[in-house]
Amino acid sequence: MELPAAPGGVPVCSCCGGPAVIYQPINRCHLCGMHLVRDVEARVESTIKTAGQIRAGDRIAVGLSGGKDSTALLILLSRLLPAWPGADLVAITVDEGIAGYRTDTVRAAEALTERLGVDHHIVSFRDLVGYDLDTLLAGRETQACTICGILRKKALTDAARAAGATAIATGHNLDDEAQSVLMNAFRGDLPRLVRNTGTGRSALFLPRIKPLAAITEKEIAAYLFVQGLFSVLPECPYTRYALRAEVRSLLAGMECRHPGTMQHLTDSKKSIEQYCTGTPVMESLHRCRECGDPCSGDICQVCRLRHSLGK
Amino acid sequence: MKVILPDQGIRAMEHSPATVATLLHELGINPLEVMVSRNGTLVPEQAAISGDDEIRIIRIAHGG
Repeated sequence: MELPAAPGGVPVCSCCGGPAVIYQPINRCHLCGMHLVRDVEARVESTIKTAGQIRAGDRIAVGLSGGKDSTALLILLSRLLPAWPGADLVAITVDEGIAGYRTDTVRAAEALTERLGVDHHIVSFRDLVGYDLDTLLAGRETQACTICGILRKKALTDAARAAGATAIATGHNLDDEAQSVLMNAFRGDLPRLVRNTGTGRSALFLPRIKPLAAITEKEIAAYLFVQGLFSVLPECPYTRYALRAEVRSLLAGMECRHPGTMQHLTDSKKSIEQYCTGTPVMESLHRCRECGDPCSGDICQVCRLRHSLGK
Repeated sequence: MKVILPDQGIRAMEHSPATVATLLHELGINPLEVMVSRNGTLVPEQAAISGDDEIRIIRIAHGG
């Protein structure tokens, strides 16, 4: 079927007939910049409300790397938050200590929080364990994402608690979530596959919410681009070691040929979670016997990592 | 037609593919991994392109 086109050979927006900037293959819609922004903001609001991710009076700590996803998340939450009386935001940036990479994104994070008037805290791996990531990874670069992920989560959680946050919001998008499902399946890690840290509130942990989980990476990039907010930033030098990079490429190919694949994967995770509720697969939380942080075993990943690194 | 690639390299193409989608296919680029602007304006893959256009292909995925 031939699509209607505006002058200049650009397909028209399915809402207003203006020149489109993006095609959404799942619902076969073209959207112009204005309707893309409205669509993304409405879907994020719906995700938050449907899952009860935010409550009145919450102080939401946004993990702000300065990259596109967390930048979009902070902008979206700053626009949507007035719907929850008394709720406010604090941004937390974790500086892992990656030469030639993090400087630009930290600078972008500082500029954004200043523009939005959001309280901003920067914490570093050096503060947390005494070393930057580059030093920690010498000779073990292939473990980069595992080590970085464990320490980043710890740094973000500690900083969020110190800032008085009641929940942590991260910029994980639909692509990230689908990739995680596939990675956990490839590893045969069912407990991690069904782990859900986004719901329930307890003294043991701060809930981690993902308001962008229904939005594709491309929609997020386009959302920023049409508002003049997209910046090309350097790529993490350790990305090439990551299983995620392979899975991202594989999944992007599948999604292109079979639109809806990523959504089906994240839907399947929710179904599996329901089937596993109340079974031994759903690991219960304990306190780490060394540091007291919540964990699923006797000792948490951070303490285990400290032992293995000798730090 | 001038094409600015994700690595900032510039390629002058003598022939003009009919659409952005055709161009990306010829370059072996998955449209889900990039945004494309035509003369500075974001366009979907179905947009037509011509010999006078400047096409910029922007990679959207980066780790971190």
